[in-house]
Amino acid sequence: MSDQPESLFRSLSDAVVGMDEDGTRSLSTNAVERGLDAYTAIDKGLVDGMSRAGALFESEEYFIPELLLCADAMYAGLEVLRPHIKRDTASQRQRVVIGVVEGDTHDIGKNLVKIMLDASGFEVIDLGRDVPAQRFVDEAAARGADVIALSTLMTTTMDAMAEVVRLLKDAGLRERVRVVVGGGPISQNFSDRIGADGYSASAPGAVKLVKQLTGRAA
Amino acid sequence: MTPIQRFAAYGRGEAIDRLPCVPIVGNTAARVIGVKVSEFRGNGRVIADAQIAAYRRFGYDVIRVFTDLYTQAEAMGARVHYPEDETAYLEAPAIESASQIDTLRPADPHKDGNLPHHLEAMERTVQAVGHEAVVTGALTGPFTTASFLLGTETLVRLTLKDPAAVHRLCELALENGLAYAEAILDAGCTPSVTDPMCSSTVISPRQFAEFGLPYLKRLIGYIAGRGRAVTLHICGKTRAIWNAMADTGAACLSIDNAADLSEAKVTVGHRVRLMGNVPPSEIMLQGTPSDVRLAVRHAVLQAHDNPNGYVVASGCSLPVETPFANIDAMLDAVREIGWPVRAEVLA
Repeated sequence: MSDQPESLFRSLSDAVVGMDEDGTRSLSTNAVERGLDAYTAIDKGLVDGMSRAGALFESEEYFIPELLLCADAMYAGLEVLRPHIKRDTASQRQRVVIGVVEGDTHDIGKNLVKIMLDASGFEVIDLGRDVPAQRFVDEAAARGADVIALSTLMTTTMDAMAEVVRLLKDAGLRERVRVVVGGGPISQNFSDRIGADGYSASAPGAVKLVKQLTGRAA
Repeated sequence: MTPIQRFAAYGRGEAIDRLPCVPIVGNTAARVIGVKVSEFRGNGRVIADAQIAAYRRFGYDVIRVFTDLYTQAEAMGARVHYPEDETAYLEAPAIESASQIDTLRPADPHKDGNLPHHLEAMERTVQAVGHEAVVTGALTGPFTTASFLLGTETLVRLTLKDPAAVHRLCELALENGLAYAEAILDAGCTPSVTDPMCSSTVISPRQFAEFGLPYLKRLIGYIAGRGRAVTLHICGKTRAIWNAMADTGAACLSIDNAADLSEAKVTVGHRVRLMGNVPPSEIMLQGTPSDVRLAVRHAVLQAHDNPNGYVVASGCSLPVETPFANIDAMLDAVREIGWPVRAEVLA
């Protein structure tokens, strides 16, 4: 391994894309021991690796199993590096409240979006699955979230998404909080009809959408 | 023509009155006889009554005795949640880690879980209308059942980290599936196989070749060996595995609306019949009857000249609350189009 920080960051990125959890962990430890900036190691190493993995997923070279193992590697690295982030770089992340709406427990899609949002620097508050509509609104209010992301695979629970939008209006938060929706039975038409702010068919697409809506479009 | 006469004539290339048509009615059948979806649980008679009534109400060609995908996994220990009036969903897998695989046993279809009730529903349905309509029983594929036994995320991680464990679990799920397939056949029904986790939306075509295909081949091979033509449905994206799906020995592939029927026709239509793929959520649930009509015409235009035949169908099981008017509109549209299909009129 070269002594150049850039080279270590590249190795970190490669370890994430290569689904190498142990390698990512030890490279992250190495970065800490060498006193490299943790935020940069995350950004140029872990996040870069995860975004390459996302691109491979979009081009159908990677599938859900590969993406999950890349995420396992990324999280292993984050666990090592995050405690070393300097405060000033850590504080301005935008917040996304995410979950599977009430009545549904299919959460792979939600988990993929969460992973990709994590990797894109958002602070993700994951409410899990089978989440009542009111809880999304309460959490968004309490945590000052910028975005609520709703997922379902079931047609039976789609109406719960409309309910979140209604409750958000009732709470007077609709102007401040963007709502994005996704999942098997969801479409752009459905998103428009319930007054959500956007729909995406894929996890990497959802991240682009959230970036656009929060003014972070690349 | 009765559905059986229609399929027989269509298969021989003789004249028919219209293309076969299958809006895939599952729990929507509860609405036809005014019961709650949860009343299907443990009650073969009610499932049969609902399926028979739905068939008579709408006049489609294939009855599929189906409530949810979890019956086989449930009979092996997975926990299923039954909402009062919606489709059941998986609450917890049967086991938490690969180390517990050896504690699992294949279910006895005549004793365990809800399997005996589903078999009863199949028997009753065959007795009532089996002389005129094709009656199928839903059979979940081994890889998908394995995902319900161990949890999907755990299983798909293991496909890369511990393939041998995945094969052990798929083998058990296959054994379970074969016993249930035998019981379905003995009930006078044709198993219809669904394996959504094999979708390229979830795993790669390479992983399908390793963990899906070999088990589907043995399952479908057994059913075909007993003289039945099998329909195989895999949800989501499937383009890259159409030929492998035909390699399973299935006679008909049911294509999801996430995939393209014209491409399927070109790629694999010389090997298998196709069915699909009117969008179940966006069109059948949320659309108007005229949206349904348009979608049916579009699908027929794409696939009516498939070399091995085409069945107009929804791209997946219909949502419970699909309006009856939309199911009627699907059948009406197919009757209007008639047979032989005149593409120039549709375009």
